[in-house]
Amino acid sequence: MVPDTPPVQEPFPISHVAGRYLLFDPPTVAHARRTHNVIGVLVGTIPNLSQQNVFLGIPLELQPEEARVLVEQGHAYIVDDAAIHREGFLEMSREDRLAYLRDLDEKGAEMSREVVRRANERSEQVLREKGLRPSKKGTESTSNDAGSSLFDGDEPPVPAVKAPEKKLEPTYITPTTSYPPLSKPQPSHALGLPEVPKSFPLFRYLHTKGYFMMPGLRFGCHYSVYPGDPLRFHSHFLATGLGWDEEFDLLDIVGGGRLGTGVKKAYLIGGEEKGGKQVADTSALPAPSWNPALRPNKEERKKAHVEVEPVRAFSVEWAGL
Amino acid sequence: MSLTVSAPPARAPIQSLIAQDSSPKTHDPALHSLALQIQHNLQYQHNWSALHIYTHSPLTGALLPRPLLSGLPPHRLYVHPDEQIELLKDADRARKAKEGETGALEVKAAPEREWILPARLSEKWTLRRLAEVFDGVSQVPPEEDGKVRETSKWRETKRVVLATVDTDSTVVYYIVQDGIVKPRQN
Repeated sequence: MVPDTPPVQEPFPISHVAGRYLLFDPPTVAHARRTHNVIGVLVGTIPNLSQQNVFLGIPLELQPEEARVLVEQGHAYIVDDAAIHREGFLEMSREDRLAYLRDLDEKGAEMSREVVRRANERSEQVLREKGLRPSKKGTESTSNDAGSSLFDGDEPPVPAVKAPEKKLEPTYITPTTSYPPLSKPQPSHALGLPEVPKSFPLFRYLHTKGYFMMPGLRFGCHYSVYPGDPLRFHSHFLATGLGWDEEFDLLDIVGGGRLGTGVKKAYLIGGEEKGGKQVADTSALPAPSWNPALRPNKEERKKAHVEVEPVRAFSVEWAGL
Repeated sequence: MSLTVSAPPARAPIQSLIAQDSSPKTHDPALHSLALQIQHNLQYQHNWSALHIYTHSPLTGALLPRPLLSGLPPHRLYVHPDEQIELLKDADRARKAKEGETGALEVKAAPEREWILPARLSEKWTLRRLAEVFDGVSQVPPEEDGKVRETSKWRETKRVVLATVDTDSTVVYYIVQDGIVKPRQN
């Protein structure tokens, strides 16, 4: 399938707003999903219909882990959206500001005119349907027909109902985007790496192997791991990230293994191997056999800005004994 | 009411098995008796054969973190999903070859030796300890003569059957594989 949107320029900015990592641009959302296995969760509602939350839209909220892998691999950078706005709008030149305000006013006036025009159209139509306001053609024909009628000639033509010549109420617009008027934030303004939970090494390991991760709350784990886009695949693993020396109960392994096997998945535990053999190039790892296209891109891995400790993972399934 | 003093009850078979064990104690006695308990369970409850207790790694000869078992299950314990697809195709071909017969698919997978890791439910584990166990075992347990029999070509990762026993002697078995291995589609 050929994407019909213009290619997204990398690195792209991720907005950091109130502790969340958000993407506001639909092409970027599609790009992140298509090329970087990053799904996120759509969280946007219609502002004046916030109860209507069955289908959500942009912005896309990224898990901190997702934002982090994008930043580590050099595909994206984090910008402090509040600071960018404060700075951008305060430092805007007077002409730009006035032009922007004028633009908003014009759009608002246009909207008001449109509202009035529609209201007039509606009232016209209703009047016509009730026969109180004959259409132009109708007027001529009735006047001809009515030549023999009782009120012939005496009746003055019905005066056209004029739109009330009130001053237009301006509509105040809340702009849905800040870029423009602000220009795209520069990578030089980028914040540092996002804070991530301790399960992140396992996330990154699975991500480099081409897996897609979704939050694992439904199965009581950290991530549900999909071998491809979750719209096309069932998940393969319920993954829980652990520290190399973090103690866990065998009951958790039994519970995770049993639950996973019950839903045709495997329970996966893993973590950074301290003092393990350094796996220098993760791109040498084979692609998953079910989809050779998921092979991690060698160039991408080389661009990685961060030293990666090897991760070791164990798959657990019920033995059926 | 009088209390009759009777002889203590006879030992349970597992008790005498543990008491009579004369193998050299290389580990904590509790770990040896744990291995014996799992061996007993596999042999008599699950019909496993060729059970053997390892105290040293067959790979390096170093002392294992705890005594491990190897054994042969009566049926194949684990079939890799890719192998399952192949087996089903083979079975389908075999059924078609015998024309007219519309029996069920007969999937044939020879049993393979497995490593068994005995553990108690009350224990705490870490990834490091689990990795140490995996580092000490070979991909396929050796036969009695020390040779390794050929196994299905889909057996590419080390796997260990984690046998967890609770205080009431219930034993549950889970297959743990070293690495990311896609799940079976039962």
